[in-house]
Formats: sequence, structure tokens, C-alpha cells
Amino acid sequence: MNKRITWSIAAGAATMLALAGCSAGESVDINGSSSDGSTLIAAIGGEPDQLDPQRTSSYFSFEVLENVFDTLVEPDENLEMQPALAESWEVSDDQLTWTFDLRDGVTFHDGSDFTSADVVYSYNRIIDEQLANAWRFSAITDISAPDDDTVVITVGQPSPNLLSNLGGFKGMAIVSQDNVESGDITTDPIGTGPFSLEDYVTGDHITLTANPDYWGGAPELAGVEYRFISEPSTALAALQAGDIDWTDVVPTQQVTDLESSDELTLGMTPSNDYWYLALNEAREPWNDVRVRQAIAYAIDRDAIVQAVSFGTAAENQLAIPEQSIWYTEYDQYSTDLDKAQSLLDEAGFTGGTLEMLATSDYPETVTAAQIIAANLEPLGIDVTISQPDFSTWLDEQNSGNFDMLMMGWLGNIDPDDFYYAQHHTDGVSNAQKYSNTEVDSLLDAGRTETDQAARAELYADAATIIADEVSYIYLYNPSVIQSWSPSVTGYETRADAAIRFRDTSLTD
Amino acid sequence: MNIAPARVMRFVGTRLLSSAIVLLGVIIVVFVLIQLVPGDPVRLALGTRYTPEAYEALRAASGLDRPVLEQFFSYLGGAITGDLGVSFRNGQPVTEILLERLPATISLAVAGLLIALVLSVPAGIWSALHEGKVSDIIVRITSQIGVSVPDFWLGMLLISLFSVTLGLLPSSGYTPLTEDPIGWLRQVTLPAVTVGIVAGAIMTRYIRAAVLDVATAGYIRTAISKGLAPHIVTFRHIVRSALVPVLTIAGIQLATILGGVIVVEVVFAWPGLGRLVYDAVASRDYPLIQGAVLLIAVMFIAVNLLVDVLYAVVDPRIRVA
Repeated sequence: MNKRITWSIAAGAATMLALAGCSAGESVDINGSSSDGSTLIAAIGGEPDQLDPQRTSSYFSFEVLENVFDTLVEPDENLEMQPALAESWEVSDDQLTWTFDLRDGVTFHDGSDFTSADVVYSYNRIIDEQLANAWRFSAITDISAPDDDTVVITVGQPSPNLLSNLGGFKGMAIVSQDNVESGDITTDPIGTGPFSLEDYVTGDHITLTANPDYWGGAPELAGVEYRFISEPSTALAALQAGDIDWTDVVPTQQVTDLESSDELTLGMTPSNDYWYLALNEAREPWNDVRVRQAIAYAIDRDAIVQAVSFGTAAENQLAIPEQSIWYTEYDQYSTDLDKAQSLLDEAGFTGGTLEMLATSDYPETVTAAQIIAANLEPLGIDVTISQPDFSTWLDEQNSGNFDMLMMGWLGNIDPDDFYYAQHHTDGVSNAQKYSNTEVDSLLDAGRTETDQAARAELYADAATIIADEVSYIYLYNPSVIQSWSPSVTGYETRADAAIRFRDTSLTD
Repeated sequence: MNIAPARVMRFVGTRLLSSAIVLLGVIIVVFVLIQLVPGDPVRLALGTRYTPEAYEALRAASGLDRPVLEQFFSYLGGAITGDLGVSFRNGQPVTEILLERLPATISLAVAGLLIALVLSVPAGIWSALHEGKVSDIIVRITSQIGVSVPDFWLGMLLISLFSVTLGLLPSSGYTPLTEDPIGWLRQVTLPAVTVGIVAGAIMTRYIRAAVLDVATAGYIRTAISKGLAPHIVTFRHIVRSALVPVLTIAGIQLATILGGVIVVEVVFAWPGLGRLVYDAVASRDYPLIQGAVLLIAVMFIAVNLLVDVLYAVVDPRIRVA
């Protein structure tokens, strides 16, 4: 009997071990590819959901795809638009026709030539299939290709932000029609970028290999291997142990230690994302600007930043971070309870409850809400925090079921992204119901003003009024935090959180 | 001990039938639970800025615009034929995704169970046979610590010691066993030890109790009073009889490890089912969550069935209830 049991267990175990061996994915020989010392191993926080740049909305996908695909134009480190697949462009005098001259001699990773037809196909796909980014093309009325090297885009109104809509991120990448139609694009994408996809083992890693024919010059790295490590302590341990060379999965509580470390390099820069509070101006007493200002004076920004980011986020009183060319200096609000109280007295506010809409899907909103509740208590404001899931949160926001809410806007580049939808009377994201004719006309003018300096002034004026009148209470720009081994050179942390390895090299 | 083959077959048949009924129940419960989960997956997939047309397009593409009952029956029909639908996020067939992840999970579970057995069987028996003595107390305290230690903490501790400080083993990663056995072994060691210590601690306590139970049974006292040598009593009678409960607990632990080492898989970036479930929940990929839960249920049922059948083979007294 004993023997029989033992044998059954052993047989079972053997079967399972055999099963375990039947791996579905073909993996590369990791030791082989890294032995030449020039394949960078990067740990990212999760697995891409898919690799079709026009369909995915996952940041983990874009961390990989940034290096595989190109856009017509692309942001430089100051987030100004520079030539990419388009070498140059011209705008007609009426500002309605944009003519792009495409770069010569660009090929896709499969060797096929890149032509204007690819651009037309890519953009029409986004529009025709109503992919998630179709809204970025809302101003476009026509896209045509008069010859192989030229693309003409017609817009319904002057659109100085067209370039940032075309190149702001890889969601607007130029894809290959064959690759899309064969369905391979989700797992085996073909782009024109500095690296091509070599290998993808679901759940474990993606390997890119350098594109020797890249139009910007062959990358120095032989390749990049992305591993998916969601646990920040594990990623940091892997970096310290030398298992990986680069990661953006950094435990924020350890940033201070990392800053002073000789063994690792820390890259940290405030991002273009911003987090804010908004008060529902369709409801009393929040329709009174003095009450809103009182709240802006009562909150402790520093405490919020410490609690949500261990101090790594950059406090901000307008949306756009200091590094940006569109930055406007503004520091009206500091924590001042006396001032807050006198503003409330002036408005005749004698206390009450405030329903703060947060969501457990974005834990920073809940943490901040708890601090805000403590901040507002001395003013006789009793904060009740509700924290539904995010899609319920969106419904509540859209139907105006809140007194105050906290949320962030991610991935903005052009100042129009930062202000129009949120603060124009007709803005689609103006859930707080802010309305000011002066702001409206400034934002309308900003949409069509083509002189950059004049445009910057328009937005500076608009942003200042928006903050003075507390349409939003801006809190902070979270930082992009990354860390890498000292052997990694030529890599830069960017405010748009794009992970570009094209100029990176690895020394032993 | 001759077992009538027909009886065993009938037993297996009945158990298979009841397993199928349980499975149907699981499918229904999981489907209903997913319907009750708050949140609109289409909205979450699209983010905050999108056009109404984009919303309708994705909703229709994922079949969520159809009546709930229709969705259920089409899901049930698919599930029976092994088609669990397509992942909400990337359109890949769920069955395919699950099968890709299964080998990593099974290899971690088996390695973890082996470590758990190696730790718990000697410790449990030793402890029981030395009941009340210092060694028993040490084993009991140690196993209590093992049961109480959170697995993520243990995993972190092992990483910081063996990967960072000593540089002996990798902190994360996975290579299939067939491709590179040494690489697999290096990578599986830390997660398997983590799983094995926790499972082993639980098993030690069960094994100790099982051996104690047998040791105080009447027939053992008879054996001792007949003057049999202590080691013969121990190994031929006590340990042999205690194996049946050990089989049960090993089965339960195996099923648990197969379905539930989410935290360990996340800590060690192990590409198994646990991490798949974690990612699927985070992105509200309902078809994938449904499929994964179903697969884990199937494995649980299969392991239980296997244990029951082994019982019937081992112990003829067990009858079909």
C-alpha cells in the first residue's frame, strides 16, 4: 500500500513537472543576449495589455512602444514638437492647410518603405474606427497624400496645437497596414522606430533589438529587454543586485536614500501631469468665489504632497510644471486659516458639510481627502468622503453629485490640453461648472493664436484668472521617478514620462 | 487488499459527476459575481477622454451590449467547449492566455509542495513522537512562526538576503524548465522556498496531529503491548496510518498553491496564474478574471478528485456516500 501511494505521488509530480516543461512561449537565451554587455534590461511595473499603439491605453505598452514606433513629429525634452517622420511642414496663410514633407529612405522593420500612404492609413484608422484617441483629430476635416513624400492635413479652424495632437504620444503612431490587417500588430508590431520587437513571452519579458537602419542613426544598445516587475521593492532589489539595469518601479519612500546613493542613479523630474481639487459651482455655497478661496487658503498643500508622494511631487498652484516653456509663475495661496476664516465670514458662511468625491481606484485622492478633512475642520466644515470605484466616480462627476472632488489630468502637452476642456464654459470636462467670459475668450484666442509668445501670454492670463477664481485648486505635479545603474549613460528622465532608449548606452 | 475494480469505477464516476455539478455552480456564481462588481469596464478601458462613438464601438465589440442572460448562455456554451472568450484588454483568447501561464504556476506549486513535504513530514512526525519534549516545543513554535509570517515579507527577506546581499540567486524572472533546467532551478528556488515554508508550517501542524491521533489509537497500544520494537511500531504502524491525512493536507495545500500564491508571484515577478489574476483584477479584464477563477476551481476540483480516488485505492473502507 505504502509503495503504491508513494508511486502515485511521484507519478503525479513527474507529470506536473513534465507539464511544467511544456512552455508555450519561445524565450530567448537571456544569458546569450546579455553577454555582449549591450542589451539593457529594464524593469517596468506591468505587462503591456497589447502592442497596437493606436488601440492600447496602457502606459506599460507605451513604455515599450515609444522605442518601436514613430510619430509624424515628436516632443523633445522640453516637450516642444520636433521633426520625426515628417522632416518639415508648412502652414497655409489661412492656417487651415498643413503640408508635411516626409523623411526619405525610412523603412519599416520588415523592410518595406514608409510612404505618405502609411500616414493616411494610420490616421484614417483612428478616425474611422473611432479609436480612443479619435478626439485628438476632431479639428481635422481631411487627410490626403498628393505624392509619396507629402501629407496634407486640412483643419476646420486654425489649430496651433495640431502638432502636439499628432506627436504628443505614441498613440498617434504611424503603423503598417499589412501589420494591422494580419492582426499581428497586437503581439508582433512593426514600426519605423529605433528598436524592433524580437521576442515576447507573455507574463515574463519583451525583447527589442536595435534597428540598424533607423533614420535617426542606429542605437548604441544592441537591444532592450523589458521585464515586468510590479512590486517596487523587488524591482529595486533587482537593480541593486545587478539583475536589471534600469527601472521606473521605484518605492517613493526610498527616494531620499537613492538621491544620496553612489551605487544607483536617480532620475526625477516633475511630470506634465497634475492633480487638482474642484468645487461644484452649481451648488451653494461653493458658487461664492470667497468660499472657494477660503478653501484654497485652508488646505495644506505641503502635507498633501508629503502624504501622497513622500514629498517627491512638486507643489504647484497652476497646472503646468516649472520646467515647461508654458510655465507661469503664480503663488497666491499659502495655508492661512485666518484669511480663510475672514473670507468665509465675508461670505456669510457659518459652517456646514462638504461631500468630497474621491475614488479608491486612485488612492492618492483618498489620502488627500483625509488631510483636507482635517484642514477644513477648524473652519466648521465637516468633510464627508465618498470613495466609489472610478467609473461610478465619473458618473457622479458628470451628473454633478459632489461638493468637491480631487482628480488628475495626465498626458497633457499643449496648454489647450490643460485649460480648454476644463475651464471653458462649453468645455467638455468642466464638471465644476466654472464660467467666465473673459477666460472663455482668452481660451478661444489661444486655440487659434499661432505666435507662440502671444499664445503663452493668453494662457498665462487665463490660468491666473482660473486660479484666482478657484475654478480648480491646483495641488501638485507628480514626479517621474526612475533609477538606473551607473553603467547606463545617455538616458534622460522626461516630463512626459516617455521612456526613450535610442541614445542610451551601457558600459561595463 | 483486493479492491473490486467495478466499485472503484463507480466511485470515480459518481465523483466525476458531482465535480461537474460543482463546476457548473462555480461558473454561475462567478458570472453573477462579475455582473455585481461595480464599475463599467468599457469606460475604464477608454480612460477619461473619449468620444461616445468610441464607447459604443468598444462596448459592441466586447459583447457587453447584449442582454445578460444571452451573455451567460453564450459564455456557458463556450466554457463547455473550452472557449472562455477573449481578453477584454487585448482580444487574445482567454484559454490561450491561461494555458501560457499554467506551466509557470504548476512548476512553482510542485517545487513549493516538495519543499513543504521535505520540511513538514520529518518535523511533524518527530514532533508527535516527542510530544511535550523540548524538540516538540521547538517544532511547534517554529511552525507557528511559519504559519504567521506574511509570505510577501518572507519573500522580501529572502530577496534582500540571497539576491542583494549575497548575490547568489536572482530576485525575479522565469525560464521554462525544459529550456534551461539550471536557470529554472535558480529562479524557482526563492519563490518555492517562500511558498514551501508557509505551506510546510501549516502541514507540520496537521501531520503532528495526525501522527498523535494514530499513536494513541487502541491498536497501537496493542502493538506496543505485544512487545514490538519501537521503531517497527513507529514506521510500520503509526507513520503508515498517518499517511492518509497527510495525503489530504498535501492535496489541499497543492490546490491552494496552484490557485492562491498571488502575493508570492507578484513579489518574485513570477509569470503564473496568481499574477495574471492580480493584473486582470487591476485592469478589470472580466473575461480573463472569469476564466482564471474557473481554471483555479477546476484545479481544486481535480486535486480533490485525485485525493478521493487515491483514498479509495488506499483505504477500501471508504465508500461512495
